[in-house]
Amino acid sequence: MSDQRILFVKEATAKYISHLDLMHTMERAFLRAGIAIRHTAGFHPHPYVSIPLPLPLGFSSQCEILEFGLVSGSTIQDLPEQMNQVLPLGIRILDCYDGGLPFRKLAFVRYNITIEFDGDLALSGEKAFQDLTSRESFIVEKRSKKAKSGFTQVDIIPLIQAVESIAPKGDTLHLTLLLKAQNPGLNPEVLLQGFRKEYPMLPILYSAYHRQEILDEALQIYR
Amino acid sequence: MDHTLEKILTRVQKPGRYVGGEYNAVQKDKTKIDCRFALCFPDTYEIGMSNFGMRILYGVMNEMEGVWCERVFAPWGDMEDELRQTGLPLYALESGDPIAAFDLIGFSMGYEMAYTNVLNMLDLAGLPVRADQRPDLTPLVVAGGTSMYNPEPLAPFVDIVSLGEGEDVTVEMIQLYRTAKAEGWSKDRFLHQAAQIPGLYVPSLYDITYQDDGRIAAITPRNGVPKTVTKRLVTDLDRSYYPVKTIVPSTEITQDRVTLELFRGCIRGCRFCQAGFVYRPVRNRSQELLTQQGIQACQDSGYQDMTLMSLSSSDYPDLLPLCDGLLDWCQPHKVNLALPSLRADNFSMNLMEKLQRGGRKSGLTFAPEAGSQRLRDAINKNVTEEDLLNSCRTAFAGGWNSVKLYFMLGLPTETDEDVLGIADLANKVYQVWRNSASNRSRGVRITVSTSCFVPKSHTPFQWEAQNTQEEYLRKVTLLRENLRNRSITYNWHDPETSFLEAVLSRGDRRIADVIEQAWQHGAKFDSWSEYFNLQTWLDAFQHCGLDPAFYANRVRDKEEILPWKTISDGVKESFLWKERETAYAGLITPDCRVKCSGCGANKLCQGGVCHV
Repeated sequence: MSDQRILFVKEATAKYISHLDLMHTMERAFLRAGIAIRHTAGFHPHPYVSIPLPLPLGFSSQCEILEFGLVSGSTIQDLPEQMNQVLPLGIRILDCYDGGLPFRKLAFVRYNITIEFDGDLALSGEKAFQDLTSRESFIVEKRSKKAKSGFTQVDIIPLIQAVESIAPKGDTLHLTLLLKAQNPGLNPEVLLQGFRKEYPMLPILYSAYHRQEILDEALQIYR
Repeated sequence: MDHTLEKILTRVQKPGRYVGGEYNAVQKDKTKIDCRFALCFPDTYEIGMSNFGMRILYGVMNEMEGVWCERVFAPWGDMEDELRQTGLPLYALESGDPIAAFDLIGFSMGYEMAYTNVLNMLDLAGLPVRADQRPDLTPLVVAGGTSMYNPEPLAPFVDIVSLGEGEDVTVEMIQLYRTAKAEGWSKDRFLHQAAQIPGLYVPSLYDITYQDDGRIAAITPRNGVPKTVTKRLVTDLDRSYYPVKTIVPSTEITQDRVTLELFRGCIRGCRFCQAGFVYRPVRNRSQELLTQQGIQACQDSGYQDMTLMSLSSSDYPDLLPLCDGLLDWCQPHKVNLALPSLRADNFSMNLMEKLQRGGRKSGLTFAPEAGSQRLRDAINKNVTEEDLLNSCRTAFAGGWNSVKLYFMLGLPTETDEDVLGIADLANKVYQVWRNSASNRSRGVRITVSTSCFVPKSHTPFQWEAQNTQEEYLRKVTLLRENLRNRSITYNWHDPETSFLEAVLSRGDRRIADVIEQAWQHGAKFDSWSEYFNLQTWLDAFQHCGLDPAFYANRVRDKEEILPWKTISDGVKESFLWKERETAYAGLITPDCRVKCSGCGANKLCQGGVCHV
């Protein structure tokens, strides 16, 4: 029997559940729902749950995927409802299905980003973003666990697949970006860090990030 | 969620602590609520959510129709700074509403070092910290918990102190409050009525006078107010509330597991142990019910770990059948069963094998408390060297290779010989390992830890002086010099926090000024080394003209009026004094099952009989 996946939403207070805590939350939810899942083999067996693309803390998402293995008894049709009754606020399962594309095929993420400037700066912000994303290259310093200095230089322009929309309104700018998902991927927070450094005259008060969709290399919806 | 809060949360550590929304968190329709209770824990979310009492009271109150109990924890420094900067008041996790508008604000007080956090939380809520600065009926500030057996240091800040187990008295207090609210009583009228409910102590209705030397001259209750307030307790644990359905935090907390409470109280009567006296008498939960509750709680929560909780789990009469019953379910369901608080004396191979079957071989911890048999007898810790070494032998032969030994320094009657006895005992444990280890090549880790004894109220040692910090450190040095073995690690607890704990735990009402002064100068989270600063406190004592040594390092005589004289846990003071004398005679007192020693706690039970 192949493994199964669930597609779920993570929003509101659940935005603040870290990746590791989310795995525990899901493991416990399976147990609460009475759904037996596959355990890993080996000396210390533990429930197998895997999330292809961890969502950074504080981000919301409508397209999270978790892979697990049903053992027996439960059917995938009933699973979303069973699970939704025992999940914390802000996590909601939309679908459960067999199989799916390998994780490595997950290529792009569509993010909705909301930026609040300190003042009526959205129009200037729009121009600045257009300017920044049309450059040949834009090097930002990124934290790295591997580099000795703790930082590494990354050119993020090749990691931005498309700027799909920019909508300024008063002090707020709404962006929809298609970013590389992995190997390497781009966390939109890194983009905004670079933006802050490059445009200190456009101070950002708050930014919110929402994962709208995940796509494969052919820009088809990834499941 | 509030947009200001959302902005803040991007900047603080572990924001999941500040948002609620966990599985089983209780949401209610505000329009159907006439009493809102903010259940506050004066420490972080991780610590407070690990507190079993919080979970019980949360469940008990939320079972009441028209009452909504919500949780509040102390924000860590980064969050506090953000709240203060943005002017966002302290809010409750379930609704996100500011707690200043709640009907009751209740603090669970487990330890003295959290006192400054109470003031800080009231201040963050936008409330005056002193009760007399809050003239209205709402919000009422209530405190309960073990450290409230001496409520005096917090007396000026709280309106009511709830003594003992809160399951019943909290409900009674809320009922009275609802009447008062509906009929528009003044706060004064309500407090006088509340003082008539057994177990509720209203500090403002007692006047304290002092002698020139600082000792209490008299405690005078106002008209019609009881002279003594006795703690409340649940007599039948099988019929008391157990939180089968309990909140499962979405972020990791300190005790992230199902907790099964085996019994309350303790048969032993170790003379230093406050819990051993204030939770008297022993009341057991039945094994069948515990098994059922444990399984249900695991099923409802999805937890994969379960722990048995009590003051001394090996004294639970049906421990073996209970473990069998639980393991029959736990093992096929891959749930780990942990059994802390085992005594070294009846630690059986049988039980150990059972637990091994159920989980990992984690380290073993024993608490002989004192190094010599003479001192162990004096403190009534009825563990013999032979028991301990036998337990270690069994453990080492069974494959364990790590043992922790906990001791206290500065116990009454202690001599340097007793201190050296600790080193001697640790070396004997090492020899036992050499002779009985199943695999010597893996080595052994023996950890000796000492802390500085803190005399507590309501114990036979409540009259005793704590060792000065210098004396404690001298003993630490003495012990360290005599623990020269590479397999033995020695850790000692710093005496500064113990010193302050000793002051606060036996302080009188004047200490409140010191707490307020220290808090105003930045003291908070005093149980956290990140924050604790003794100098802030010493400055506060000096500012208030009080000497901390008067509280920590002074022997009281039998006649002295102790600050907690009004508060009774059911154990007679004369019994405690007799126990003190027995300690000085180096004699032991048999446990409650062997022979009733007549402490007086039996009167708290129906028919005056304990069922130990």
